[in-house]
Amino acid sequence: MVNSRFIPALLAVAISPFLHAEEDLGAMWGTAAEEAKYYPIVNIPIPSSVPMRTGGFEVLPDGRLAVGTRRGDIYFIKGAFDTPPKPEYHLFASGQDEIFALSWKDGALTSISWGEVTRISDTDGDGIADNYDTLTNNWGYAEGHEFAFGSKHDPEGNIWVALGLSGSYESHNLFRGWAVKVTPDGKMIPVCSGLRSPGGVGANAEGAMFVVESQGPWNGCCSLKHLKQGAFLGHPASYNWYPYVPEMKTPAVSPNGDSRMGVEKKRVKELVPPAVRFPYIKMGRSISGFQLNQTGGKFGPFDNQLFLGDYTLSIILRATTERINGVWQGACYPFREGLASGIMNVEFSPTGQLIAGGFTTNTQWPVRGTEPFALQRIDWNGVVPFEIKEINIRKDGFLITFTKPVDKQVAARTDAYQITTYTHVYDGSYGSPEVDQTTPRVTKAEPSADGLSVMVRLDKITEDHIHDFDLAKITSRDGLPLVHKKAYYTVNEIPED
Amino acid sequence: MVLIGSVPVGLAAPVVSGLASSQLDPELKGQVLIEELNCAACHSGTPSLAAQSKKAPRLSEVGSRVNPAYLEAFIRDPHGIKPGTTMPDVMTQSGKQEKAELATSLTHFLLSLKKNEFSPQAPDAVAAGQGKLLFHSRGCAACHSPRDDKGTELLAKTSVPLGALDKKYSFKSLTDFLRQPHASRPSGRMPDLRLNGHDIERIAHFLLQDTRVPGSLGYTLYRGQVWEGLESDKVKAERAGYVKDFALASLGNIGHHTAIQYDGWMNIANPGRHTFYLTMNGGSLLIDGKQIIRQDPRDRRGVMQLEGAADLAAGWRKIRLTYFHTGHAPKFAFEMEGPKLARQPVPSSMLSISNEAIPVFEPLKVDAELAARGREQFGQLGCANCHDDLRIPANPGPAFAKLDAGRGCLGEAPGRWPHFDLTAEQRGWIVKAMPHAEQPQLTDKQRIDKTLVSFNCIACHERTGLGGIAPERNALFTGTQPALGDQGRLPPPLSHVGAKLKPEWIAEVLLHGKRQREYLDASMPQFGEANVGHLVELFGKVDELETVVVPKVSNMKESKDAGYEMIGTTGLSCIACHEFNGQKSGEVAALDIGHVTERLKKNWFNLYMRQPSRFHPTVIMPSYWPGGQSTRPNILGGDSAQQIEALWTYLEDGMRAKKPAGLSRQSNELRVSDVTELCRGRSPVGYRGIGVGYPERINLAFDSGEMALRQLWKGEFANVDMGSFHPRGTDSISFPPGIPFHRLEALEDNWPYKGKTNHPFPQDHGYQFRGYHLDAQRRPTFLFHYGAIAVEDYFEDVHDKDGKPYFKRTLRFETPAEQTPVYFRAAAGKKITRQSERNFGIDTLQLRVTSEHKGITRDGDPGEVLIPLTLPKGRSTLTLEYQW
Repeated sequence: MVNSRFIPALLAVAISPFLHAEEDLGAMWGTAAEEAKYYPIVNIPIPSSVPMRTGGFEVLPDGRLAVGTRRGDIYFIKGAFDTPPKPEYHLFASGQDEIFALSWKDGALTSISWGEVTRISDTDGDGIADNYDTLTNNWGYAEGHEFAFGSKHDPEGNIWVALGLSGSYESHNLFRGWAVKVTPDGKMIPVCSGLRSPGGVGANAEGAMFVVESQGPWNGCCSLKHLKQGAFLGHPASYNWYPYVPEMKTPAVSPNGDSRMGVEKKRVKELVPPAVRFPYIKMGRSISGFQLNQTGGKFGPFDNQLFLGDYTLSIILRATTERINGVWQGACYPFREGLASGIMNVEFSPTGQLIAGGFTTNTQWPVRGTEPFALQRIDWNGVVPFEIKEINIRKDGFLITFTKPVDKQVAARTDAYQITTYTHVYDGSYGSPEVDQTTPRVTKAEPSADGLSVMVRLDKITEDHIHDFDLAKITSRDGLPLVHKKAYYTVNEIPED
Repeated sequence: MVLIGSVPVGLAAPVVSGLASSQLDPELKGQVLIEELNCAACHSGTPSLAAQSKKAPRLSEVGSRVNPAYLEAFIRDPHGIKPGTTMPDVMTQSGKQEKAELATSLTHFLLSLKKNEFSPQAPDAVAAGQGKLLFHSRGCAACHSPRDDKGTELLAKTSVPLGALDKKYSFKSLTDFLRQPHASRPSGRMPDLRLNGHDIERIAHFLLQDTRVPGSLGYTLYRGQVWEGLESDKVKAERAGYVKDFALASLGNIGHHTAIQYDGWMNIANPGRHTFYLTMNGGSLLIDGKQIIRQDPRDRRGVMQLEGAADLAAGWRKIRLTYFHTGHAPKFAFEMEGPKLARQPVPSSMLSISNEAIPVFEPLKVDAELAARGREQFGQLGCANCHDDLRIPANPGPAFAKLDAGRGCLGEAPGRWPHFDLTAEQRGWIVKAMPHAEQPQLTDKQRIDKTLVSFNCIACHERTGLGGIAPERNALFTGTQPALGDQGRLPPPLSHVGAKLKPEWIAEVLLHGKRQREYLDASMPQFGEANVGHLVELFGKVDELETVVVPKVSNMKESKDAGYEMIGTTGLSCIACHEFNGQKSGEVAALDIGHVTERLKKNWFNLYMRQPSRFHPTVIMPSYWPGGQSTRPNILGGDSAQQIEALWTYLEDGMRAKKPAGLSRQSNELRVSDVTELCRGRSPVGYRGIGVGYPERINLAFDSGEMALRQLWKGEFANVDMGSFHPRGTDSISFPPGIPFHRLEALEDNWPYKGKTNHPFPQDHGYQFRGYHLDAQRRPTFLFHYGAIAVEDYFEDVHDKDGKPYFKRTLRFETPAEQTPVYFRAAAGKKITRQSERNFGIDTLQLRVTSEHKGITRDGDPGEVLIPLTLPKGRSTLTLEYQW
């Protein structure tokens, strides 16, 4: 029997009954063969006896990979990072609710399952967990789709938990649609409201905590949202829990529908716009777990960037963030497609490999991957791909950084940059088309002396818009095209200088 | 009524099908025949011969079981009507007219015995199709002849005859018979196949598919993606039968995405142009094979008005109407008009399932005078000798000792004696057996052989030196595990079975319907303890194999550990093919090794392990000790005998054996072995349920949301899925929602529980769940706070002196200061009885307080057992026992 509670990125199934597995999932990027030249995918074999429907990962101090599963088991895998992988599976803990995140700290593994945050440890040293200390189970959990994703421990030892709405549309039980912070001594502190169907939770390189949000009502597309204390993150169904938070006040106004995020954030002062928006289908359909790359260059030229899995499209995306006028924003980039199952979570190994795991519920939500479940690894083979490394906003344009020097002659031409902008309707109906398109004019393109970056100046930057970059014409100094020519920058704020 | 006429010579002889395929010596064959023909019924033999002989069917309810026309015809000419029957013809002396009169009066007599409820029913062709598969695969066709698509019997000569069942039985009487065959045929030759009710009905529809009863219209109902056409593999025929007209309501409730095909004949009174009107989403109308209307169904559209016309001659016209119950707001109407026929729905009176008249079944009106005459004749003709359930005095024949070969029943001449139409060979066998027939001096082996032949066990089971599955029937045996080869489809051989299986297990299988090989399509029929119970002991006495010297185990733990290691995937990986306590790890699901020591004799297990192919020449299981040499020198010093013994000592723990390494967790069924198992999530006790299954095979569910015990049950633990579990097992006791501790202000106050809208509950009552820790057997101690009180709640599975398991519950409290009194709700239920201040009955649950505390009861819905507690500063303990 397939569990019907978990349907990432909302019940499109319920909305359009004709949607089924043969549905067009959007064109592939078509870059898999090129990606494989730098980032080959390695399968980590799973014994037939192990129902490995990954929810969360952690790397243990002894170098083993811990995997928490939807069946509520935690496996410790030795040899997962070997080449070729020689995995040995050890069942460490079992009997839990669905586990969507794991984090190791001080001799115990903290699991975030749907009902609680649990500190799991082996006290008698036989390798099997015997202590299951519940830190908190104080949020409401009584209906379908009320899942919980969680973060790693933050520097204070807190776990941040994002709580999906009841049935993904409404909030019937305490703090559904909220993010909460669970302290090491088990105190649950509500952080912000306004979530819908959250995915992974984690910090960026600067330590700011983010959550992935799914496309749906009040969310034109999937996004990365900053979990700012006291913020309202866009979906008003969870307003009803403010009375249960003595230190917070219910926002004075509710967002209007059929509006724009840029308009409503000025009306509703608690509203924090998504930091990075992922244009629907082009950049994922149900983004799930993500991790910050802090491998110190072992995973290639993308240190301190976020790597995100997508459930429906079986792809991995990349994102960067920066704080402008006190507000987080940033860009997203295609990274790797062609994984074997829907991706639920990712993790970096100590040797700088990206582990990706997930599963496929072929009866409910279309998934491009075909395996019922899989554990895979993306290895960097040491060859630097020619990629857009990062895009940063400037007062009058964008600084585009590349992984390898560009052909400066090409890069200096303003027509080498196809840039369009658009935004979404901010409304309670499901998702949004891309609207309010503009095409800014590139006034100047100035490659740096080393050819690793280009300052692209525009006649206009539009606030609240995604800036959609197509750099198909750019080539590297040695004449190579970009592996991925697209990038998408979400402008919440424009720097003043 | 048309019945079968003459019978080809030789086919009339009684068939005892085991005789044909067995290798019994002629004298024993004679003994079998003497018993199967129930010679002792007339030739008063010893009680033991009478007891072993096959009794004739009981007749007290024959009027409800058998069509009276068939009964009469069968009495008149048993060998003509049912060739191969063991029922003798007792009227060979009578002329045709007299025979007919005798048969009539006997029939009236038999129908006078009880009120008769015989009435034939229309067959369901869809069920019959399924029944055909079941008839051939479940074991019926091991004794009865398999049939081709036309229903022709293919192996009539060597099969137990059935005769024309559609003439004999009604659907109801045949299903009644198949459900309890021994009720009317107590001697068990026709076994109880232990089929479920649906399968019995399907088989009955198959066997009775030629039954003819009058009806207006035939219909077949299809379901699935019917708009793709009825031939699509996404469409399944669901049922068929007769219906009175074309009105949908006549078929009862029909669901969406259904199609109905009506077939029948329409009687046209006045020739000429007829117009037909259809209201439907899609369908077609054919008359005499000619298409009049056709509209393909479309699921995205509504209903259409369709019209068609044809010139029809007077008389019966064949009609086929296909209707698709598809699209928006599906509707169906069928009307016609014609010469002197106003537009109207086609009336039942114009319709028939056939263009020939089908007589209506008329129950026989019993004539008292005829019945009285029949009763006398029943005794005189000797019918009562065999059919002795009617308590009519028998008409005994000469004593056994006085019988002569070649005369009477054993001669060819007609006479006042019963005629069996025996073949010369059969007569020869009987003559050989006659001298000792009353007190046969049979060895135990011969007694086994005789039983296995009489009950035709050898139709399914091979036994060395006796016989086995006939080559022409071999292909009928099928299974669901092709990877197991012949062992996955053929019932196991009975050679050495007494040396192989423990007598208790043989009894389970033979007498109580226990089944190990779920992958065999054939069922293990039940023949009745009185009939075959003696085999249990005899197998053990007769079957012998050489004795293996079993080594002494000096360190039981080391031995069990070695067995554990060998069974798992890091050892011999037995679980790669074998199921283990119901859990399948590999692709194949060979016999469950969790029951090995329960089933097998240890000596045989040793012999089998050393050389599996000795017992099954085609066995797939490899030898792990080829030539006595272990393939695992690193286990127990490579000592083969110790290794095999280690498997046994490990498996002896049965369900309690530690789960082997690599045992699959893919199964949804979570089983408990030597340690406690837990599962969590959505469950009958809420979304924060914790299910706990203990090795003593008692289980509980704890709600970590309200921190309360919510359910107890026995036996199998739970089905688990991602984030959910559901209790299995039996004897479930549920407690209502509600926190465990509360300070009631007044005893009439309600006990608090979380409603839909009290969101901060139970934290607002001071509760905080803190998880659990596991002891060495992985039994959890639940931890939580109730205000300043730290609570530990621990359940231990123990058993009483009779081995009956129950829970001991220990609640430990620690408080920084003495607490104001608080109530603990120990149990709640419908019916509460207070037996003493420490003993309570709650429905079927017995609750005992075993610490110094005393309980009180509260009426209400639910009633409750409350234990008032005044907790001192520091540690204190409350102990309870739950038994049910």
